[in-house]
Amino acid sequence: MTGSASGNFRGISPAEFFYRNRQMAGFENPTQSLYTTVRELVENSLDSCEEARVLPTVDVTIQSELGRTCTVSVSDNGTGVPDENVPNAFGKVLYGNKYSSRQRRGTFGLGVTMAVLYGQISTGTPAVIHTKTAQNEGNEYSVYIDIESNSPIVKSSNPLKRKERGTTVHITLNGDLKRSRERVIEYLRLTGISTPHARITLSLDDTERYTFGGFTKKIPSLPVDSLPHPHAADLELIRRLAAKNPDLRLHEFLVGSFQQLGHKTAEKFLNFIRMDPRATIGSLDREALSYLGNSLRKYDKFGKPSATCLSPVGKESFFNAIRKEFNATVIGYSQRGPLEWDGFPYIVEGVLAISDAFEQSDIPHLFRFANRVPLLYDSTDDVFAKTLKRIPWARYKPPEISGVAIFTHFCSIRVPYSAAGKQSITSVSSITSEILSLYRELGRKLKVFSEGKKRALHSRRKLKEFSRLFNLLAKFSSEVAGVDNIPDTSRMINELFEVDSDV
Amino acid sequence: MSDMSDPIKSLTELGKKILSSIEDGHFPRIEIPARSTENIVFDEQTEQFILGDSRTTRDSSNSKHIRSFMQLMWIASFSKRLLESGRTSSLRDLYYSSEAFGVRFKDQAESDRLLSDLEALIEYPRESLGFFPEEHSSIYGKVIMRYTVKGYEDKEVDLTISPDGLPIGPALLSASPVRTDAKLILAVESGGMFSRLIETRCWERFDCILVHLGGQAPRSTRRLMRRLHDELHLPVKIFTDGDPWGMHIARVIIAGSANAAHIRDLAIPTAEWIGVNADDIVRYNLPCEDMNNRDLKRLDELSKDSRYLSDDWQSAIESFRRLRKKAEQQAFSRFGIDFVVDEYLPTKIQ
Repeated sequence: MTGSASGNFRGISPAEFFYRNRQMAGFENPTQSLYTTVRELVENSLDSCEEARVLPTVDVTIQSELGRTCTVSVSDNGTGVPDENVPNAFGKVLYGNKYSSRQRRGTFGLGVTMAVLYGQISTGTPAVIHTKTAQNEGNEYSVYIDIESNSPIVKSSNPLKRKERGTTVHITLNGDLKRSRERVIEYLRLTGISTPHARITLSLDDTERYTFGGFTKKIPSLPVDSLPHPHAADLELIRRLAAKNPDLRLHEFLVGSFQQLGHKTAEKFLNFIRMDPRATIGSLDREALSYLGNSLRKYDKFGKPSATCLSPVGKESFFNAIRKEFNATVIGYSQRGPLEWDGFPYIVEGVLAISDAFEQSDIPHLFRFANRVPLLYDSTDDVFAKTLKRIPWARYKPPEISGVAIFTHFCSIRVPYSAAGKQSITSVSSITSEILSLYRELGRKLKVFSEGKKRALHSRRKLKEFSRLFNLLAKFSSEVAGVDNIPDTSRMINELFEVDSDV
Repeated sequence: MSDMSDPIKSLTELGKKILSSIEDGHFPRIEIPARSTENIVFDEQTEQFILGDSRTTRDSSNSKHIRSFMQLMWIASFSKRLLESGRTSSLRDLYYSSEAFGVRFKDQAESDRLLSDLEALIEYPRESLGFFPEEHSSIYGKVIMRYTVKGYEDKEVDLTISPDGLPIGPALLSASPVRTDAKLILAVESGGMFSRLIETRCWERFDCILVHLGGQAPRSTRRLMRRLHDELHLPVKIFTDGDPWGMHIARVIIAGSANAAHIRDLAIPTAEWIGVNADDIVRYNLPCEDMNNRDLKRLDELSKDSRYLSDDWQSAIESFRRLRKKAEQQAFSRFGIDFVVDEYLPTKIQ
């Protein structure tokens, strides 16, 4: 949420909130805190690179010292943070706009500042930010947060040359590298799957180095802000929108504030709910606004939401990444949507793949992603995990195929997480039924694949046997004819089987 | 007997035809006269069963045909080797030999069937291709035969040489009749009756050559009888048990079998069945048994068989049906051991 987005945020009282809710935000213990810090910084970097329209290069370094003190450094080649934004972007706990209007990695806008705050309270050290935009040569800042007033304290700020545009953030915190090592690696590996155009490196204590992602050079198109879908119109949204332009007449207000609501639809809708299209929006009382909101949410003739605010991984990129990272055979891709839940556009996509790298089990192993972020925990509460168990996999999956995995990606301008830890998606019935369809489609593809494989195996055996018999025929015919030469039959047999051997 | 070099020529032609097709890049196909019961018709003229016009195709590009096509050619190559080295093989030997060549038949019925295909394809009987069935029947009588087999060339044999009769094998089948004092060929179903007729010197009394059929006559036996019949101009009489099975043994010798309808020169249309029929059972008051369901069912089948359409045969069947009794050849023993020779046969042969 660095950069231009800061105008959409307003401050809240962060200290109390943070102390009470640190487990909710993922800072419950040193193991979790280290992982969450890496995660928030990496997601921040990837969002920034997305805006810069570059192939992201994100380098993560973790240095542990004296047992539980770790320094996490995350460096990117994103937009860089303009000087004037640095204090607020890193030194003020911000509350994000609830009505985010396009797909983003974070939802609350808390991310980085929570990590800064955690580092500050657990080790007493400031966050160090080295950033360069297109307009300057680079500066380094040390930033604290004044918890009482929720305002940034810039301890130092010096010009420091930086070769390339981008940002490096260092946070020193109380963390447990030994315990969170596995999950940090897994998180970055899977991030390389869902953001396959990003190249991510990880260095642990200068002894271990990993590289993830970099599977494609294609930068996905940037999801664009879009007007809310009318089904998302709750009272607060209506009041906010109304407050912006109180003088608009109702008809113009609707057309200008929502997607899937053109002049014709607005006319029909207002006629249907018997509201005066010429009334100014500011003149409506709370009751009338509530009636308007309810009607917008219930009216069933609005079009399906536009998908331009969403950024699915897509078949080709997903396939590439899974193939390369897991040495897998990808079986199929399936996508549902764009659809909307409570007015929020969403797309569900999934890939089914086979590899020895995947756990062998009766049901496929599940890799979950939401808005390109891997979800590693709380899978028992997750709608994708729960729904997976409802599919009769025995019907689709022959026992000889083991090591099957499904990768699911839920993208939406709003993800219905079941908790603020953002690790599991809650069951929304319309979403659940789409997931079921997605799984079934993938299951059918698996079935088709395994049957094709069986057929191919069968036809290879058939070819071998046919070739043996035909060569005997040639041999015996030569004997009967009294000829010593046995003619070569391979060309004839290959031609005969050409169609079959392609299976 | 046809000249043994002819089948070799036919086999070689077949091999060359298939080979040149492969060399031209075409999957060879062959057409074999269909040997299904639908394609077997009774030829009124020769009074024997022959194959109709329908043919089955074996296409080597068809994965369902390639195995049997290959097996057929293996049999052809095996046959050629037999003929070139002057050897013979039993059908059982043929079946077992296949293993060594990677051919492998499901069972002997399969190799037998494919051999029949080869017979139909090149129009030579299996005996000409070097194959002989296992079951050996025997012959006894005043005939001089001259061997043609290797090591016995031009040796002559008197068929009375052994009191047990001589087995009818490949050597005898390829021998040529030289001369005979006999006036008749008498074929009998059971071994017991055959021995009795030799002991009682029946062959002298009736001037006959005795042939032991041993149930349904092997093709080689039928072939030898036909040959003696043709070349020595001897009439053939057939003496069997008094039941539908015995009657059919006689009928096959006379009119041919469905199984070997693709083979010519096996039937002896002028041969005559001299019982035991239903009337004999009554007339001689022979010890008999009741017919069982199988016997009665067989009578039903035969009554519809095109070989039994004539009035004589229909009435023979009808008599058995009315009587519902059957009797063996040996039943005559109740009247004393020589009764058959003294009473029955003189009446029947006249």
